[in-house]
Amino acid sequence: MSKDYIIEQLKKQIENFETKMQTEKVGTVLEVGDGVAKISGLSDVMASEMLEFPNGVYGVALNLEEGQIGAMILGEFSGIKEGDQVKSTGKILSIPVGENMIGRVINPLGQAIDGKGEIASDKFYPIEKIAPGVITRQSVNQPVQTGIKAIDAMIPVGRGQRELIIGDRQTGKTAIAIDVIINQKGQDMICIYVAIGQKESKIARIVAELEKKGAMEYTIIVLAGASDPATFSFIAPYSGCALGEYFMDKGKDVLIIYDDLSKHAWSYRQISLILKRPPGREAYPGDVFYLHSRLLERSAKLNKDFGGGSITALPIIETQAGDVSAYIPTNVISITDGQIYLESDLFYKGIRPALNVGLSVSRVGSAAQTKAMKKVAGKLRLDLAQFRELEAFAQFGSDLDENTRRQIERGKRTVEILKQDQYAPMLMENQVAILYALTNGFLDDVEVSKIKAWEADFQRYLDSSAKEVLTLIADKKELTEEIVAKLEKVIKDYKILLN
Amino acid sequence: MRITATQYAKSLYEVTKEKSQSEIGVMAENFVKVLAKNRQTKLAVKIIKKFGEIYNKENGIAEVEAISSRKLEADQIQQIEKFIQGKYKVSEVIIDNKIDEKIKGGIILKIGDEILNGSVERQLRELKKCLKK
Repeated sequence: MSKDYIIEQLKKQIENFETKMQTEKVGTVLEVGDGVAKISGLSDVMASEMLEFPNGVYGVALNLEEGQIGAMILGEFSGIKEGDQVKSTGKILSIPVGENMIGRVINPLGQAIDGKGEIASDKFYPIEKIAPGVITRQSVNQPVQTGIKAIDAMIPVGRGQRELIIGDRQTGKTAIAIDVIINQKGQDMICIYVAIGQKESKIARIVAELEKKGAMEYTIIVLAGASDPATFSFIAPYSGCALGEYFMDKGKDVLIIYDDLSKHAWSYRQISLILKRPPGREAYPGDVFYLHSRLLERSAKLNKDFGGGSITALPIIETQAGDVSAYIPTNVISITDGQIYLESDLFYKGIRPALNVGLSVSRVGSAAQTKAMKKVAGKLRLDLAQFRELEAFAQFGSDLDENTRRQIERGKRTVEILKQDQYAPMLMENQVAILYALTNGFLDDVEVSKIKAWEADFQRYLDSSAKEVLTLIADKKELTEEIVAKLEKVIKDYKILLN
Repeated sequence: MRITATQYAKSLYEVTKEKSQSEIGVMAENFVKVLAKNRQTKLAVKIIKKFGEIYNKENGIAEVEAISSRKLEADQIQQIEKFIQGKYKVSEVIIDNKIDEKIKGGIILKIGDEILNGSVERQLRELKKCLKK
């Protein structure tokens, strides 16, 4: 670039520079407390409009009352004092969006917090948006491969679905979510992990693990830490969703994990109580249901005319002592299209993922399951249900008839096969192969204690010597007679090899 | 129900509207008595402020704070008065001229919760932003 050109440009800019009077609406801070400010003036501010406090801190107008407004402060509020001037901006709260967010850790305002430099973006999406309407939607018809046998087989999740992960603390809720993200490699899915009020150490560990598995290449982490103001926790899921909508509008499939929505409800409760909104059940404000329903309703599968993108949501709820009938869990259960229910009893028994198959359901996902998986999984649920029923009653005596004994043995093996290590998601075709072997009795002569080792070896054998069958299942996505014959031959060959 | 300062100020304005000096004196005294009875004398400062706002609004008076780097000349003040009268449809303008050298030049007008910022300082800031791009 020549010097003259620069000067020419400068001249043009200076000439075109407008020296106009600028009208600003201002108010004065009346009181500040715990991330919330009461402001007088600002008579024609909009609901949820961004406000500018001195030294560049932003806020959002929440309560509009006669003569004053209540606003939450996004960021450091200790510097704000009574009498400070607050400017209105005329903009609804929005965050920058863009492709270059992928692979980054950001705060709910879209600023990078991973130390890898600023994220330049000129496109903004409003944080709060009305969910896509009926005419833009399509029924769920494509699966999200979670890579977890128990989920893919019995509680399938479809693209555009909202599947709740619910359970007590330390039952592996986040572990499931992270495994799902890891398994999205090469599945053309963008993952957004929204951490709400989480420990920063936990997020550091998750980021490290995702980087190790190469999963950060398609993942964005939105972090509102435990030490950040409650307002950050409150807007974090909406920010994450706005980011997701940007990709959905481009026709992409997005997976969002909200970890977790109980902390989100707590932060909203805090803000509401400080704003003096009347408390209701469990001291939550009256609109706590709408808080989550308007968020989760934004997950959708759009039809072809609208780009065909989707947002799949996996909200997480932490229960206290297994109480699913508390206020927030019942709310979110009723909003979502099914739940994955984790139990601490199962977890301590060594059944991990600690999935309670009886209480977990997926209300729409089975429509999206591949035919192959449907075929092998149909029997699985039945086997397990019968096993549960017989298990309790079999403890009283050993005098069981042949049929009952066989069912119990099969059940024990099923439970064993459904156990899966963390960070070890499995491909659909491998899942189908092992579940086929299980449900068709090929494992009945293997000792229960040796099932895990048998399976590990079998998977290795499949990957090395039976690639052909695996690719067939992956391509056709169903079990034709020809494939079944081939699969059975592989299983028999492997068993001969063992003996 | 709690009575707010705005409500007090409004009622005070209404009872004293178009009354003679002596009547206003009685009303004001009564008003203070009512306030004391309701134990809300601490609202007095706020009520006085609100009353001023209401009085100005009802009588078409605008109080303007004009911040400039040098003291405004008489004809400048007249110009501002005309400008405000035209913009806000008021009959009387009270200008309070304050001097702040930090704004370097131009003028900042504060009317109620609106600020008209025409200072050189702001324009320089905008120019800086513009050049940065």
